[in-house]
Amino acid sequence: MSSVAPTTGKTYWRSLDQLQNTSEFRDFLHREFPVAASEFPEGLSRRRWMQLMGASLALGGLAGCRWEEEKIAPFAMRPENRIPGEAEYFATSIEIAGMPRHLLATCYDGRPIKIEGNPDHPSSFGASDALSQATILGLYDPDRSATLRQTEGRESFSRSWQDFEKFARRHFAGLKQNRGEGFHLLVEPSSSISRNELLARLVREFPQAVIHEYAPVSRKNELAGCELAFGQSLRTRLALSQAKIVASFDEDLLVLHPNSLENARGYASRREPGEEMSRVYAAESQFSLTGAAADHRLPIASHKIGLLLAHVDALVRNALNDSAPREALPALPAEAESFAKALADDLVKHRGQSIVAVGPSQPSEVHAIGDQLNSLLRNIGKTIFFTSPSVKPVATQTLSDLVAAMRNDEVNTLLILGGNPAYDAPGDLRFAEALANVSTSIRLGEYEDETSRLCSWQLPAAHAYEAWGDVRSWDGTICVTQPLIDPLLGGKSALEVLALIRGDQREAQQIVRDAVSAAAPAKLTDDSWKKLLHDGFLANTELATVTPSLGASDARGTWIREAAARSETDLELVFTPSESVLDGRFANNGWLQETPDFLTKLTWDNAAIVGPKTAEQLGIKHGGIVTVNAASTTVDLPVFVLPGQAEGSIGVALGYGRSVAGMIGGNVDAGVAPVGVDVNSLRNSQQPYFISDFQITPTDRSCEFATTQDHHAIDTVGLEETGRRVGALVREGTLNEYEEHPDFAQHMTHHPPLESLWEEPTYEGNAWGMSIDLNKCIGCNACMVACQSENNVPIVGKEQVAKGREMHWIRVDRYFQGDVENPSVATQPVACHHCENAPCEQVCPVAATVHSDEGLNDMVYNRCIGTRYCANNCPYKVRRFNFLDYNEDLEDANRELVQLVVNPEVTVRSRGVMEKCTYCVQRIQNVKIDAKNEQQPIGDGEIKTACQQACPTQAIEFGDLNNSESRVAVAHHDARAYGMLSELNVKPRTKYLARIRNPHPKLESTTTSPGGHQGGNHGHS
Amino acid sequence: MATAELAVNPNLYRRPQESVIDGDHNYRSITDTVCKIVERPRPPQAWYVAFAISSSLTLMLFGLIGYLVATGVGVWGNNAPVFWAWPIVNFVFWVGIGHAGTLISAILFLFRQNWRTSINRFAEAMTIFAVACAGIFPAIHVGRVWLVYWLAPYPSQHLAMWPNFRSPLLWDVFAVSTYATVSLLFWYMGMIPDLATLRDRATTKFRQMAYGIASLGWTGSARQWSRYEKAYMLLAALATPLVLSVHTIVSFDFAVSQIPGWHTTIFPPYFVAGAVFSGFAMVVTLMVPARAYFGLKDLVTPRHLEVMTKIILATGTMVGFAYAIEFFIAWYGGNGYEQFAFINRALGPYAWAYWTMVVCNVVSPQLFWFKKFRTTPWLMVVVCVFVNIGMWFERFVITVTSLSRDFLPSSWGYYSPTAIDVLMFVGSFGLFFTLFLLFCRYLPMVAMSEVKAVMPKPDEADSEARKLRLRPTPAEEPAKPEYVGGGPEA
Repeated sequence: MSSVAPTTGKTYWRSLDQLQNTSEFRDFLHREFPVAASEFPEGLSRRRWMQLMGASLALGGLAGCRWEEEKIAPFAMRPENRIPGEAEYFATSIEIAGMPRHLLATCYDGRPIKIEGNPDHPSSFGASDALSQATILGLYDPDRSATLRQTEGRESFSRSWQDFEKFARRHFAGLKQNRGEGFHLLVEPSSSISRNELLARLVREFPQAVIHEYAPVSRKNELAGCELAFGQSLRTRLALSQAKIVASFDEDLLVLHPNSLENARGYASRREPGEEMSRVYAAESQFSLTGAAADHRLPIASHKIGLLLAHVDALVRNALNDSAPREALPALPAEAESFAKALADDLVKHRGQSIVAVGPSQPSEVHAIGDQLNSLLRNIGKTIFFTSPSVKPVATQTLSDLVAAMRNDEVNTLLILGGNPAYDAPGDLRFAEALANVSTSIRLGEYEDETSRLCSWQLPAAHAYEAWGDVRSWDGTICVTQPLIDPLLGGKSALEVLALIRGDQREAQQIVRDAVSAAAPAKLTDDSWKKLLHDGFLANTELATVTPSLGASDARGTWIREAAARSETDLELVFTPSESVLDGRFANNGWLQETPDFLTKLTWDNAAIVGPKTAEQLGIKHGGIVTVNAASTTVDLPVFVLPGQAEGSIGVALGYGRSVAGMIGGNVDAGVAPVGVDVNSLRNSQQPYFISDFQITPTDRSCEFATTQDHHAIDTVGLEETGRRVGALVREGTLNEYEEHPDFAQHMTHHPPLESLWEEPTYEGNAWGMSIDLNKCIGCNACMVACQSENNVPIVGKEQVAKGREMHWIRVDRYFQGDVENPSVATQPVACHHCENAPCEQVCPVAATVHSDEGLNDMVYNRCIGTRYCANNCPYKVRRFNFLDYNEDLEDANRELVQLVVNPEVTVRSRGVMEKCTYCVQRIQNVKIDAKNEQQPIGDGEIKTACQQACPTQAIEFGDLNNSESRVAVAHHDARAYGMLSELNVKPRTKYLARIRNPHPKLESTTTSPGGHQGGNHGHS
Repeated sequence: MATAELAVNPNLYRRPQESVIDGDHNYRSITDTVCKIVERPRPPQAWYVAFAISSSLTLMLFGLIGYLVATGVGVWGNNAPVFWAWPIVNFVFWVGIGHAGTLISAILFLFRQNWRTSINRFAEAMTIFAVACAGIFPAIHVGRVWLVYWLAPYPSQHLAMWPNFRSPLLWDVFAVSTYATVSLLFWYMGMIPDLATLRDRATTKFRQMAYGIASLGWTGSARQWSRYEKAYMLLAALATPLVLSVHTIVSFDFAVSQIPGWHTTIFPPYFVAGAVFSGFAMVVTLMVPARAYFGLKDLVTPRHLEVMTKIILATGTMVGFAYAIEFFIAWYGGNGYEQFAFINRALGPYAWAYWTMVVCNVVSPQLFWFKKFRTTPWLMVVVCVFVNIGMWFERFVITVTSLSRDFLPSSWGYYSPTAIDVLMFVGSFGLFFTLFLLFCRYLPMVAMSEVKAVMPKPDEADSEARKLRLRPTPAEEPAKPEYVGGGPEA
């Protein structure tokens, strides 16, 4: 890292220079995390070693006799611009499996502790997702690779970067003479300009070298679909904010899409009930968040989705009297038929205001049908924008090509930059076996994982927060990755390794700057570079949109004929990336492992997700184990029966069953069992996303899931009661109902007048409150992980979750409504409601939970003795108890690094203490102190709770209820506002805004509106 | 020898109408029967076996408490939403058991129920030991055991605050500690004359010293008897409201909260009836074998046992009535949450516990309508063991089923105990029986002085007794006013 001078003008986050220039800081790091080998002096004689060991043993004994001494070296001179204990903020951008994320990191005393979305960046405007929130924990993961390791034969040696440099110079000089023959590289797809430029340079120097690209889940089919439809490979960008009708075919627009944050924001902007409200259709085999958010969802097997789209296409063409020839299509089931008709009707009515999106797992031909339909509907340029892919592709070959080359002994040197193919390559390739043929395999990876074990060199990779780099946004905007901290474990980035191999003397920052400068419209001056670092992105560098014209491809007809023939297949096995661990890269991230799947609420596990009917047909039970046989491998999987799963479709998440991930995600050698089951071996490279060629057989074994909801199988009595209650808890209506009775949500419960026994307090100054708009909430869990990061919420592990002891301060409740085959889903984030008549406060014998004079329900940890009475009496069950010492990890000497992720503003709770949501009281206090110093009132929106800040759809508002202008006060007075369980007279300070669905009139009868139809509650008044 | 007779209650001269004991007994034989149990040089082998088992279980209990404190309350099965489970169930169970003693000693004393004298010492001892077992659970139940003293309202510079007097849990601390203190005093005070008898009969120096200290210099003088009677009556009057208050306040822990299934106004009387029910059942369970084993059949007669079974029948029917009323009110009150709480009890995942409770508590005591069950000791014990099982389940049903499913279905859970939960409950029985066996071995099991007071006037033929008569008969001396209220009358 080199220095960056502070920028002038309005800077509320500061530059990096103090971080690089202070030797104290480096020293501190060095002492804090000794990498044992690096500390040991070289050239030690045996005699001297004995002396030292003897002396240290003796001293070690003495040390037991007195208090441990800790030496803290104070700053003799305070670095410029650093106020101890004041947070600093840095903009950066990272890529998570090809998904660009634009972030703002909060740093305390030089250590990043919290990730937010970059509030200035047009794609996120401050929002973030669960994955990017959790990356900060990955930075401080003590299981990350910390040493270079060279394996020769059966022996392995610790090496230094100097050793590697020596080796590389010799080795690659030899290769160069052969023009790089036998030199192969395996990289992950990336939009980094600088990395691709270095790779291009490398290919120029080693003309015979071959670059392969592989990602277990990619969007290749989308590009190929454009190639089919338009004759050119194009990136698709959707503007959900412009769309009245959104139709998603097996596509999760709101979470797993690379541009999900912009999509989610666009979606939310069109969900205000009224004229402009959008209508969302989703046809999918697995329940995605988009499907749950949709007004109409059709569960349909993945391999039939193309045909459904072709049907819609035909209906639209009929309505528009299009002259193109039609293919004969097999008939659809009745439900699908009415779905297709309603959708086609809406699409025709809203030409130019609709989106047809196809998921990355669908074959390119289906994408082509979608592209043609969008073109026909004149959506291109209005709701759908095409640009060229953000960087010129450097990779020419695929993983299959690499494996073939390795098998033919054509590879003598393999450089693997990132990825983990030994784990996630499709089973039919037998990658690990082929890799054995390569004499020199060099792997740059953050972890010593499945792949690095098979390579002759393992190089520790720097975390994205430790290195320079660049990322292009989904629209092509140039963004820079800047290091937030020196590499904690001595890792290097892919850029640095490529430079090292090429003998490039430039520093990483210079490489990035040169590459970015070349791609930018104007050359970057020092000032504009600084501004780029400050802003995190270079404005106005998005790629130009192109308006492609339809090509004359006939691939479509052929595909439809083939698909029609195939659609008779009954069962399919669908592989999906996990929303928690993605493709396995987050397997060692405890926060994500413990984040429940948004629908199954399953933590620390994957499972074969099966619909109830299919389960019955196959004779398998929830919690039973089945054997799945495909591609001549066999895998045992637990079964999770999920309502709404397409019948005939069995879904299973990738990314689990890592055998060499770490102490969290599984490390078989260290006795840590893998989390979940590895299903990559069932995949094949030809059909990586869904297969029909497999057998499934039940066994008589069973297992127990660790779910955060429905901890115990719910019996009939419980199910019936849940059905009766849900309507009053998550209040919903249709747009028509809302227009007739905007305040329908306030008339769903009957109760006597809510009068208090005591005189209620009044609030002179501020009175904090929150509102959560269920119409916008998509249940994506971003708030959960953001809260975990902000408030030092511990993870408890699978066993404790199974016991019902998870610690999340905010959870997302999920309820099914209606038909078991095709239920609608309601999600509801629940955190402490800070009740005015708080039931918890009354019963605590030691007054450890008390009301503040700003209406907060404060929790006094050091007063709490843990009677747990408060938690019993809390109707929302948001209180969390430290049954055991859940922060043990922080004290473990081998895992000390984790301590650095702790937010210094929030107490780490001890065993035996109750805890719960505080409305981020530390954030309130910080803003209050600043406001007091400035003698200004606190403005609306100045205080953002962690959940609110992260929320991609801005469903959460927080602020002062005494200020009638504030957004939260306005929301509290909205017609849709209601207090959950307010009939208990607890007077919650968090209010929900009822969810409004916008069904197609013809399908409306099939949509359940629980408030109006279910027994036990009261209809509209 | 003479001093032994000094320890005779002066009220013995008020001849009762009917004897409460069987057999041909005079004062001496009563003294001998009770004291011999304690004075035997070594207890029977069975005592050693029982003591070895129960003291091992006690050790296990304390070992587990150590493990609990070192590890955290997570060693139990408690979870969210079932934050209270077995430890609280055990607490309420033991407090309930502890009800019989004070009821027998205080209320029956005030109501002049003479038959109580044979069993009150025994029942009071049981109370003390049950309350000791009960007291352990809430103390170790808190998350930070080492700070449990913060529940006490003491002026502290460090905390600079009082506890929260609005919390039923704090009332509970006062109620249980008051009850324990008064019960202990009552028990000990009632034992002083008998301890003096043991002192006087002691043959070894050590016994003389030990009983001498414990009997607080009792000589049996008229003045002492006068003071003693007054104090005994005052303590009885003080203990009487406590019989009602302690379980009322324990029930407030539940009734004052707003969990459906807890928040019911019927809880105080229902809990008190249940406590008396379980307490008497425990007395019968222990008394039947003890009277047979220690040769107390004459003192604890079938009549005693039958009276107790009648009380069990009465309170058991009250408890059954309370169960029915709960359902009625849930329906009549029209509160959906409460309705579900009760439907869920009877039909939900814990239905097995609910129906166990109903069978044990409502059905089994109905057998006491039959004379045979009221008069056959072993049948009584069988029914009483069922009652005790049922009463434990009652607390389990109230505590755990209500918590496991409250307002938000998303937070519903299921509770299963761990091995630690089970072993701690077993260990508390170990502690109870350890204390009980020590009591049988070292203290007078039957209140000799009180039994003598309700015996028929000593036989005129008993010349020794006549010779030693120290005071004039009541006929010769008009009764003093202060004796009128204090002496047991038929």
